[in-house]
Amino acid sequence: MKVRFTVNGHAATVEGDAEMRLLDALRDVLHLTGTKEGCGEGECGACTVLLDGLPVNSCLVLAAQAEGREVLTIEGLADGPRLHPIQQAFVDAGAVQCGFCTPGFVMSTYALLRDHPAPSEEEILTALEGNLCRCTGYVRIVDAVKRAAVQLAETRLGEARARARETA
Amino acid sequence: MLRYVRVDTEAELLDALRKDGAQLLSGGTDLLVKMRSGLVRPKSLVDPAAVAELRGIETAGGALRIGTATPLSEILASKEVRERAPLLVDVLRVLGCVQIRNRGTLGGNLANASPAADSAIPLLLYEANLELAGGDGARNVPVGGFFLGPGRTVLQHGEYIRAVRIPASRQNWIPFFHKVGRRRALTIAIASIGGLAAVSQGRATEVRLAAGSVAPIPLRLKSAEEWLAGRALDRETIQHAGALAAGEVSPIDDVRATAAYRRAVTGDLVVRFLEGAAAA
Repeated sequence: MKVRFTVNGHAATVEGDAEMRLLDALRDVLHLTGTKEGCGEGECGACTVLLDGLPVNSCLVLAAQAEGREVLTIEGLADGPRLHPIQQAFVDAGAVQCGFCTPGFVMSTYALLRDHPAPSEEEILTALEGNLCRCTGYVRIVDAVKRAAVQLAETRLGEARARARETA
Repeated sequence: MLRYVRVDTEAELLDALRKDGAQLLSGGTDLLVKMRSGLVRPKSLVDPAAVAELRGIETAGGALRIGTATPLSEILASKEVRERAPLLVDVLRVLGCVQIRNRGTLGGNLANASPAADSAIPLLLYEANLELAGGDGARNVPVGGFFLGPGRTVLQHGEYIRAVRIPASRQNWIPFFHKVGRRRALTIAIASIGGLAAVSQGRATEVRLAAGSVAPIPLRLKSAEEWLAGRALDRETIQHAGALAAGEVSPIDDVRATAAYRRAVTGDLVVRFLEGAAAA
């Protein structure tokens, strides 16, 4: 069967059998291998992508269920060679060790900070509850989310100031 | 070879489900895992996500109607649900994780009929009704009469849950939910206890108790409830209610915990709930 959806702003068509998961479509057909398969049963969150803006485990979504919808993967965040502020915050905070879980954590963080630009510790822990990391112990990951929130707030403030100057 | 069938109307849904080997695919968070491990082998997956009757949250006075294919995260975010069925919100907050709640549904959680189904606890307590639909027409079944055993329900071949109806209820319920597990997120409960209590001047006007993972199906703890009705919530009454609750469940030993532990923790949590309600 043929499935059409949008990936990182671009139209995509994939062909496969009904069992094909969104994860398989992304990795094996579209070669977007930033999304990782950890457990394959919705426990670890390594395969987290945003489906119409919401974090989902792409191992628990059939490709067919993405028909006509928008998918955002880790590859859709960076601006050319420039990392997204969330990605940069994970680097700066030392929140990456083996790195396998990182794309999933970054995608969960992306959805969190879009909805809650200044999250509490509790909100951060809830947003990341479906993502497992076996290296870091989470302290630096939570730190990275806080840094990213500050960075994104500063970017927005800078943009607002620039707009104010333009209108003045 | 497996077929994926997306339906747009209830008529198409009924038709698709009638076929041999047809399986309703809701959020897929349980079904796709079971399929990959070979536990179930459907011939077709019928996706009702686009069927309007199965989606959304409606209110009528104090009552609620929740389409069974509504994602749990949508229910969790609903102001209407928080006002009318706050305990359902408390429970959904600890069901799965963000990713699971964005896909999972009440229909899936109930039809799966796990003894540990979290959403069954608040629905049993609020005495919700399930609106079932199938080839022979529609019928209403109370949640308390829906489960037959682990993985077994009253659903007939070709029948599905269209909506969950939660009737208007007391405004002054003291709610309680506690899930015993190894961690908060993504845990299958070792035991879960929920309760609603109406207390006036230290006396229990009405108490409802429900338990999960301690019997073949999620169930109400009727003998403890009956004992408590109208009684002053003193120490002896509360202890006796805990003992009745522990005696009413029929847990098993499994990889997560022993039957003895489950029985003990059931009684202890009922006591904890009632002590809190007495002090409120």
